[in-house]
Amino acid sequence: MTTTRRNLLKFVGGGAAGALLTPAPWRLITDSALWSENWPGIPRPAHGGITARFTHCTLCPAGCAVRARCVAGQPVSLTGVKPHAVSHGALCPWGIAGHHLPYHPARVRQGPVKEATAAVAQAIAQRGTGEHVAVLDLRPGRTVSWTHRRAMAAINGGLYLTPRQPGYSIDLAAAKTVISFGAPLFDGWGTPGNVIAARSIFRLIQIEPVETRTAAMADLWLPIQPGSEFMLAAALAGNMTLAEAALITGVGEQALAAVQEAAESGQAVVLAADPASPLMSLNEKYGALGRTVVARSDAPMPEAWKQAAPEMSMAAAPDGAIRVLLIDESLPGGYIPWRRIAPKLAPDAVVVVFTSSNDGYARHAQFVLPAAVYPETAEDIGPAIDTVAAVFRIAAPLIAPVVPAVDPARFVERLAGLPASEPLRERAGAIHKAGRGTLLDYTAAKSTPVKDVTADNFWKTLSQGGCWMDDSAKRTAPENLVFPAAGEPPRDERPLTVVVAEPRRGGLESPLMSKLERESNLRLAANRVALSPDGARASGIENGDRAVLETAFGRLNVVVAIDPSVPAGVVEVAGGPRMADLCGGNGRARVVRA
Amino acid sequence: MTPRKRYGMSIDIDKCNGCGACMMACAVENNVPPVPEAANDRKGITWIRVYRVDNHRAYPERRTAYVPVLCQQCGHDTPCVHVCPQQAVDVDPETGIVGQMPERCLGCRYCMVACPYHARYFNWWDPAWPAGMEKTLNPNVAPRMRGVVEKCNFCHGRWHAAQQKAAAAGKREIDAADYVPACVEACPTGALRFGDLDDPSTEVAHDAARPESFRLLEKIGTEPKIHYRSQRDWVRDIANAPHPDGKDQHRG
Repeated sequence: MTTTRRNLLKFVGGGAAGALLTPAPWRLITDSALWSENWPGIPRPAHGGITARFTHCTLCPAGCAVRARCVAGQPVSLTGVKPHAVSHGALCPWGIAGHHLPYHPARVRQGPVKEATAAVAQAIAQRGTGEHVAVLDLRPGRTVSWTHRRAMAAINGGLYLTPRQPGYSIDLAAAKTVISFGAPLFDGWGTPGNVIAARSIFRLIQIEPVETRTAAMADLWLPIQPGSEFMLAAALAGNMTLAEAALITGVGEQALAAVQEAAESGQAVVLAADPASPLMSLNEKYGALGRTVVARSDAPMPEAWKQAAPEMSMAAAPDGAIRVLLIDESLPGGYIPWRRIAPKLAPDAVVVVFTSSNDGYARHAQFVLPAAVYPETAEDIGPAIDTVAAVFRIAAPLIAPVVPAVDPARFVERLAGLPASEPLRERAGAIHKAGRGTLLDYTAAKSTPVKDVTADNFWKTLSQGGCWMDDSAKRTAPENLVFPAAGEPPRDERPLTVVVAEPRRGGLESPLMSKLERESNLRLAANRVALSPDGARASGIENGDRAVLETAFGRLNVVVAIDPSVPAGVVEVAGGPRMADLCGGNGRARVVRA
Repeated sequence: MTPRKRYGMSIDIDKCNGCGACMMACAVENNVPPVPEAANDRKGITWIRVYRVDNHRAYPERRTAYVPVLCQQCGHDTPCVHVCPQQAVDVDPETGIVGQMPERCLGCRYCMVACPYHARYFNWWDPAWPAGMEKTLNPNVAPRMRGVVEKCNFCHGRWHAAQQKAAAAGKREIDAADYVPACVEACPTGALRFGDLDDPSTEVAHDAARPESFRLLEKIGTEPKIHYRSQRDWVRDIANAPHPDGKDQHRG
């Protein structure tokens, strides 16, 4: 038999047709699909020994106790510590993903440390009479805050500035009725576990224009006209009739009478979105001072620390007189809008910010120095608003610093010529010396009276994420319950009232927060606003459109969500530094289609 | 042979404040990556998603509730199992858990179409975490590749870990406290409970038997094992009624 060209082609064709009836080509398709699916490779989780370590979350002043599940020493998940007396094992979504922060792609990773140090030294040397060096501490009450205060006391003309801080704590467990003027009780106001644990005890009346998470959980939500809260308070105080208040606030007279009755039935406490708001003075009328609203008690500290600069609010600082401003934004805290700070600066002022995020004061400072983030560094957490007894808890580091960070306390110490110190250990020593309170050791799951613990063991337990809690002390009424209200905002004809429906402190948040924002729209992202259907229609805006939020202080590109639960004439926004710079203190805006 | 269970969950909608802690804990536990910037709520992956629902009334009578929706672990005629051409979905006879095997999945998404609860998610992109963040992945759960479907499996990795612990202690049955899904563990309000629905001594079985308890789309006969409850009539009505306005649910 001869092999012809035709036979060869027949054989090849027959072979190809026959191959289609075998699994080989189909398998090849599947494999190709899998190879392409796996390209460029899927991360492989590291393996290793599993351990549990403890710390405290520093992302907000609640300072919840945290149990970290670590694999080969690396935290892979965070949960609450169940038997904790205050946090009750609860963590908020930010706290659950706190271990991602060191790797955040937007983190500040480097900064001009030498240049900043030289510029600050030069500015101090050249400053004129009456010019000051100031530290702005966004999270006062920490041990590091006392380092700042001591340093400012050591520098001639040093000022220690803070956001407005209430000098009180609230004991929710002592209240039968909570009248809340927009305080986000279930969304970042206090310690989540503590608020939830006390929830069954009190009746919650939430007064605010939009149905926030707290309003949705309230026994009674009063949808009030934005900006009319003080009128309702005046009615409750007896300075206005209920009928008059009903007209202004848009809340029915019957509902107002029900609030008044609940408030006067005993054991009521009034809370406000701004803890230093004049609305808090209603507590005097209801007899809450010294019972539910009590003077804040701090953990003992070394005697030598009391030679420190006093706390001063930004408003009290002299205008145009701050030559050097050092902003400790290493932990997110009460952001003061930049327009309130700028007038206080001298014309050639040097502004240095210690931060991990470019979202806050980094937008305004000449020098941005990288700060450590949770859970890289050891530090304590200031007092929470809902903890009556003094506490001292240390956020024990869970990982080594990922970037070379600058410690703001060391920077300020060196500037003031103070010797390097170990303030956390010194304070732990002072607490131990006082000999009162209880030490909570999460690792051993036990609590021990301080008098039964040696100083070394006390420090060792605290530095491994333990907690000291003071004995319950005699309750006293706070001295500084409210601060004077900020001046009347200028008249603004813009049609919308800005309502912050999503409280945020700023700073980094886990990239996984996209699950709650972009991937589900459960929470308003920082670049989203919500309008009522009528409001959106009036502006020619469709759901999902890009738009510009315009206020007297600037403009911000946003994406608009249309939400029928938003009242007409209101634009709902998420909080945070950018929004504070844009809207804080005014609250009128216009949304224009981009 | 291990005694058979019928794991299920009860969700108290009146306690849920929509904080999203369950969603975060789930993503952390199961190595669900953040999606790229371009993604939206339709392409995101949330094994448990908290929906904001309302009573359809105008402001100020409008009232909101938060409903966590995850795979309902259908106990009868499980739709996704029926339609999968690859046998990538199965029901574990020992636990009743509907499982997904991504390595078998070819990404046809029939199961997503069949699922009446929209509780299945497709991987549109390669799983990617910001540089360094892959160190925080849970070694007990393998990340899934692009092109496959995934969904809640009641943190099956935790069930295996509990079984190993029981076996090491010479026990045949796991300690109930050792097997709790991440979302239940993380819920700060205690709205989520988990356990064996066939064991009348469990809280979840007790919850399921309460008069205010209901299941989503009960009328279609899939026998979901997620039992919701609410004292509010309008919340219970939502379980079986379509939204009258169709598309005005923009925020969740």
